[in-house]
Formats: sequence, C-alpha cells, structure tokens
Amino acid sequence: MHTGHIISGAGHLALFAWAFIGSFSLPPDDAIQVTDVALVSPEEFAALTPPVDQAPGADTAVAELPAPEAADTPPEATPQTDSTPEQAPPETAAAPAPEAAPEKPDLTTPQADVSDTTSTITAPSEDVAVVVPETPDEAPRDIPRVAPRPVVRPDRDVAVGESPQAPTAPSDTAEEVQPAEEEKAPEEATTRIVTEADDKGQGLPKSSKRPPASRPVKTAAVEPDPKPANTPEPKPAPAQTETATPRPEQKEAINDALSRALAGAADAAPDTPPAGPSGPPLTSGEKEALRVAVSACWNTGSLSTDALRTTVVVTVEMSQDGKPLAETIRMLTSSGGTGTAARQAFEAARRAIIRCGAQGFGLPVDKYDHWREIEMTFNPEKMRIK
Amino acid sequence: MTHLTRLIAVLATAMAFAVPATAQDGPLRIEITEGVIEPLPFAIPNFVPESGGAGELAANITRVLSEDLTGTGLFREIPQSAHIGSVTSFSSPVQYADWKAINAQALITGGVTVQGDRVTVKFRLYDVFSGQEMGDGLQFSGTTAGWRRMAHKVADTVYSRITGEGPYFDSRVVYVSETGPKDDRRKRLAIMDYDGANTQYLTDSSSIVLAPRFSPTGDRVLYTSYETGFPKIYVLDVASVGRRTLTTPEGTMSFAPRFAPNGQTVVYSLSQGGNTDIYAMDINSGQSVQLTTAPSIETAPSFSPDGSQIVFESDRSGSQQLYVMPAGGGEPRRISFGQGRYGTPVWSPRGDLIAFTKQSKGRFHIGVMRTDGSEERLLTASFLDEGPTWSPNGRVIMFTRETQGEQGSASLYSVDISGRNLKKVRTEGAASDPSWSPLQN
Repeated sequence: MHTGHIISGAGHLALFAWAFIGSFSLPPDDAIQVTDVALVSPEEFAALTPPVDQAPGADTAVAELPAPEAADTPPEATPQTDSTPEQAPPETAAAPAPEAAPEKPDLTTPQADVSDTTSTITAPSEDVAVVVPETPDEAPRDIPRVAPRPVVRPDRDVAVGESPQAPTAPSDTAEEVQPAEEEKAPEEATTRIVTEADDKGQGLPKSSKRPPASRPVKTAAVEPDPKPANTPEPKPAPAQTETATPRPEQKEAINDALSRALAGAADAAPDTPPAGPSGPPLTSGEKEALRVAVSACWNTGSLSTDALRTTVVVTVEMSQDGKPLAETIRMLTSSGGTGTAARQAFEAARRAIIRCGAQGFGLPVDKYDHWREIEMTFNPEKMRIK
Repeated sequence: MTHLTRLIAVLATAMAFAVPATAQDGPLRIEITEGVIEPLPFAIPNFVPESGGAGELAANITRVLSEDLTGTGLFREIPQSAHIGSVTSFSSPVQYADWKAINAQALITGGVTVQGDRVTVKFRLYDVFSGQEMGDGLQFSGTTAGWRRMAHKVADTVYSRITGEGPYFDSRVVYVSETGPKDDRRKRLAIMDYDGANTQYLTDSSSIVLAPRFSPTGDRVLYTSYETGFPKIYVLDVASVGRRTLTTPEGTMSFAPRFAPNGQTVVYSLSQGGNTDIYAMDINSGQSVQLTTAPSIETAPSFSPDGSQIVFESDRSGSQQLYVMPAGGGEPRRISFGQGRYGTPVWSPRGDLIAFTKQSKGRFHIGVMRTDGSEERLLTASFLDEGPTWSPNGRVIMFTRETQGEQGSASLYSVDISGRNLKKVRTEGAASDPSWSPLQN
C-alpha cells in the first residue's frame, strides 16, 4: 500500500515535471498515453516492473491492456488521482491558429502611365521675358584707391517668362512600356541627423587667432576656459529586467493571460460585429505592416522646415491587388503649416504611397472591404529638424 | 521561469497578431510618424539645344543646374549613364515609365536657344511617380555671358517647387581674400557667385580689411579697413567700386558695421575712452544715435528682418553673451545662457533663428537658436569656426573655418541648418569673413 503510494506519487511527480519543464509542443497524443499509465493498478504495475528495460514499449503495451475486469481481485485502494491526468496542460501546447499567410504580392508588371489623350505643346512666346538692354559698364569713379579689377555691373536682364507654357500631355501613340525593376533605395537614408558638433575634438585653441572682426582691439585678456563640466549627469536607474520575479499581482496577470490564451485566440473576436464592412477586420499586425511599408518610402529629407511642421491627412483608394490608385490620392486636411507647406508635405506623402505601393502592399484580399479606402495621417513631428 | 516568460511572450505576440483590430467604421486609418531622410533622386537629361551652337551652352547650363541641386544635400542626381529614356525634343511627351524604372522621383527637361549674344533657357519639372508636371514650364533669357545666372534661376525654381524653401542659388558672397604666410597675411575684399564662380576683387591688399557686409539690396558693401591705422567703416558701391568713409569722431575706432533692413541705417560699434558701445547712423545725413551705454563691450549688432530689434554680443554679465534690444535702444534682454562664450550673432532672414559663434571647452562652434534663446543647436565643431552668414532663404549658413598650425589657413564652409551637408566652398585661395547677398533681381 505504502509502496503503491510512493510509486504512484513518484509517477505523478515525474508526469508533472515532464509536462511542465518539457516541451509543450509535444503532440497531444503522447500526453494521453501518459494519462493511461495512471490507471494501472499496483499489481499490474508490479507485474510490469521486470521488463522495465523496455519502458517505451511497455508504456504502449500498458495503455492497451484491458481494464481490470477480474472483480474477484479487487485492486487495492488506488490513489485518488484519477482526475489528475485531466489537469495535464498539454492543451496549452495547442499553438494559436497560424496567421493567415500574407497575400503574395502581385508581380504582374504595372501598366505604363500612358493615357489615350495627347496635346501639342505650345511653344513659349519668344518675347515673354522682358529683356533689359545692356548698359555699358560705368567707369569707376575717381577714388583714392582703385581695385585692380573693377567689377562688372551685374546682369539685370534675366527675367521670368510671364506666360506659362502648356502642360505636357502623354502621346496616344506612345507604346506601352513595361518598367524595369526599381532601383534599390539609397543607402544614405537615415532617421537621425548627426551634426559635426556631436563629434568630440581634441587639441583646440582657447581663443580665436584670427583678427577679431567685431572686436578689432584686444581690450581684455582671453577669458579662461569655462570650468569643464566634468560632473557627469546622474545616470538613470537601470530599468527593471523582464526576467525579474513577478509579484503576486503579476502572477495573476500572467495566469489571466494564460487563461485567455488557453481559451483560444480565435475566440477573442469582438463581441459586437463592426458597423463598417463585413468580414474580419485587419489585424494589428496587418495594419502595422502597411504602416511600415509606407514609412519606408516617406522621404522627408527634401522638405522645407515649414513642411516638416505640417501634418497632412491623405486618402487613397486601393485596387483589389493591393495597389493604390494614384489618381484617387488627395489631401483631406492639413494642420500646422501654410498652404505651400501643406502642398509640399502632401506631395511627399503621395510619392510615398505611389512608390511603395507600386508592387502592392500585400493586404489580405479577403478583407478588401476594409482597406478599399485608406486614410493615412502623415505626422512629421519626429522628423523635424531639432 | 525562463520557459514561462518565453511562453508568455510567445502567446502575447501571437495574440497581438491574431486578435482583430477594433471594429472599423469608415475607411482604414493609419498614422505615419517616421519616414526616411535621404536626398531626393532626380534625373536631368542634357537640355536640348534648339539652335545651332547652343549645344555646349546647353550642357554647361545643365551641369550648373545639377550641381546647384545636389550641392544642397537634399537631392541626388541619377547619372545620365543610367537613363533609359532620352529627351530629344523639349516638346516631346514624357515617358514616365522610363524614369520610374530608374527610380527618378523628379525629372527636369529643358531647351536652350542662342541668338547672337542672347540665350533663352526654358525648362519643365515633372513629378515622375505622380505622372504630372510640377508647376508650369518657364523660360529665362539674358546674355550668353550671364548663362550661369540663368542656370541658377532654373535651379532656384526647381528647388523651391520641390522643397517649399525660398530660392538662394542666384546670389553672391563678398568675403576677405587672404594670401601670404600667416604672420604676413595680405587681405582684400572679393566677391563671387554663391558657388565660388566669377570671383572679382573689390580692393587691393595694401591694408587690412575686415568684415564686409552686404546691403539689403546687394548693391553696396560695408566693411572695416585699417587704412588709417585705426579701424574705420567704409561703404563701397559694388558696381563702380567707389567708396566713402562713414564719418565718426576723430580718435575713435568704429567697426562691426551692418545695414538695417531699410538700407539707410547702419549700426556699428564705436570705441572711445576704453569703452565700446553700439551706435546707429543714418547713412545719408551722417547723424548717429547711441543705442547702448553700458561700461562693458557691446558689439556685433544685427537687425531682425523687420527692423524692430537688434541682437548683439556683450560681456556685461562677466562673460560674452548674446542680448536682444529694441532697434531704438533700450533695456537689453539676455538670450544665451549655455556654457561657453557666444559671439557674432546674425538674425536669420526668415526671422526665426539667430546664428552665432560659440566657444566652449576649447572648441569653436557655429550654432543656431530661437530668437528667445531656446532650442540652441550646435551645427559644427572645429579648431576655429566663426562669423556665420545666412543664405537669402535662411536655410544655409556660410562661415569661416581656420585650420591649425603654421600652415593653417582660412576657408569658407557652408552647412544646412539641420547640421547636414557641411562642405567647403570653392574659393580662389584662402578666404574668410563671408557675407551672403540677398537674392539677385
């Protein structure tokens, strides 16, 4: 009896240890086999003891043994552990439903931007610019000292044509051109500006050795160097590592998270169906992928300082293959800058959408209703010159 | 615990990707807060010569235009050898696909016509990925001798249309040209295009000249000369190189002059009796008004673009700092509080920033700050940087950098106000004390 308890207890401990420390990724079938072992009576277990060397095979065989129908030999009291196997956690090993594979990008070559209409460019008027007749250079006046080379009077006859020229229109005779593969993005892209002042120099003067333009007379000795600020700034306390032992409330949170996970991610859909398009909406991951894709082409390097203070909201309609329809891109609102700055900011945003959407954004086709129209807010706050 | 942590992390990640977003009402909405900072790639086929003998000029104009744009650090030219398409006629329709294929985001086409000594340059600018023209086509005309200016004009238009910044390529710089060894340096005033071309000299090198400053219209230059043994201020007419002296009391030293935005008033420093203060003079009447009265040294005044305020340097606090006062004088307000010494402040033509020289921890810096002294940023650091001057659009700063040692010499450098694109400006020999002109007419 006591031996039975020990054996049974040891068996269960081993079972728990294996289930907990071991991999959760084992197939659920293995766990069920372990469960059967717990139902073996001590006698049967003892009978099986001699061929212990055949453990792996024995397990299987034991699992298939018929139930102890010999009621004349009632088994001794078995440990009250019948329900224990049901607590085994193998179900946690059930991996969440894999994310739907992203739609394979449509590799079909985009159509060339050639329209059916054409127009003839009107040659600019020859007399548009106002030409100021050349005036002979004035001779230098009689002055005490004459420069060795007199300066020619600046040319003032450069003028801007007043009448704009007709816009260029594509030719209807142009053949459809298949664009080649795009050039890779330049390597010098960066999201942080490092100025020369950030570098540390050595061997430096204590004062200007140049004749002082604003102080032609040295009326005071060179000031001593400012007291070096060697006092290091207090370092922030190291952040808590994620491996720290969780507090009780953290344990509860962990358990809750596990419970939710065990309940199945698929069941976590919102209780109320969305009021918008039908079908499952885009996951956070899918939206993040779209955001990252557009960010990669949003080049703020050539924007003015005013444009970098301007946030624009841009709307775009998408085709079902995940490509933006360029002609539908328009600015909804802007804030923080002038009209000119907003236009520059919008053009940079439009370039980003078209460039990175040329091959499609890889959005799930089955959720097309949800991304048929997209509103993108381009907020350059983090990209400003600081 | 490690397994548990890993398990939680895996589950959390899986749930983040598996859990659908909140109910969507209306179009899908996302916010882009981070992009990339890189030069905008553009293509510029050689401008089409539309008359006999215009081929070389067309190529030259194309090169200058391209150098203007790439010199800003905001653009990158796609080499012509990489072009798929070609432009054989200015009126030809654009095959956008050819330019998309090489990732050109902007395309510039143009034509050049020469008739006698006159040249006409016309151009168009296209947004390749949008498949549309950016603005209308324009043309400029002038003498063949002024072809560089026309190239600068085209570049200015392209630059402004794409970036939204004001133009600045069609401008000039007056500076002090230096020759000879360090202990016997010869100096004279010189003027050149902003990119170092067309250098001409305004004075000889018989006496030391310092700190030239353009007038708001770019037709006159103020500078300081030691011709009499004492520093005196002169006004020089750029076209005729005629000059005259600003009248100041005998036995005094006047220096650090700068025009007011109205072009009629000059602020400067006057040193007499061991004290230096700031004065304002009406350049026509010669009447002066004293603006500061402190026993300390006040100098390097610079007007705000609207003419209402003056920023200057003073050591009234015990160390050299920057102050702002009303244009008519009055109680100054200190705006620099950082470690080190501040000097040579210059108000941005846009009015939003003040550039300055800073000496701190044995290094010299060119920096910018808001007009209230906030948001100070140092753009450069070297053995000796000083004397900033603003481009007409307030986007670029040019300054003097001197190298160390007996063989050290001064050069002009420029830097974008973002701190990027620090580069040496091409000059004929050593150069210092630059002053950027306004945009030419």
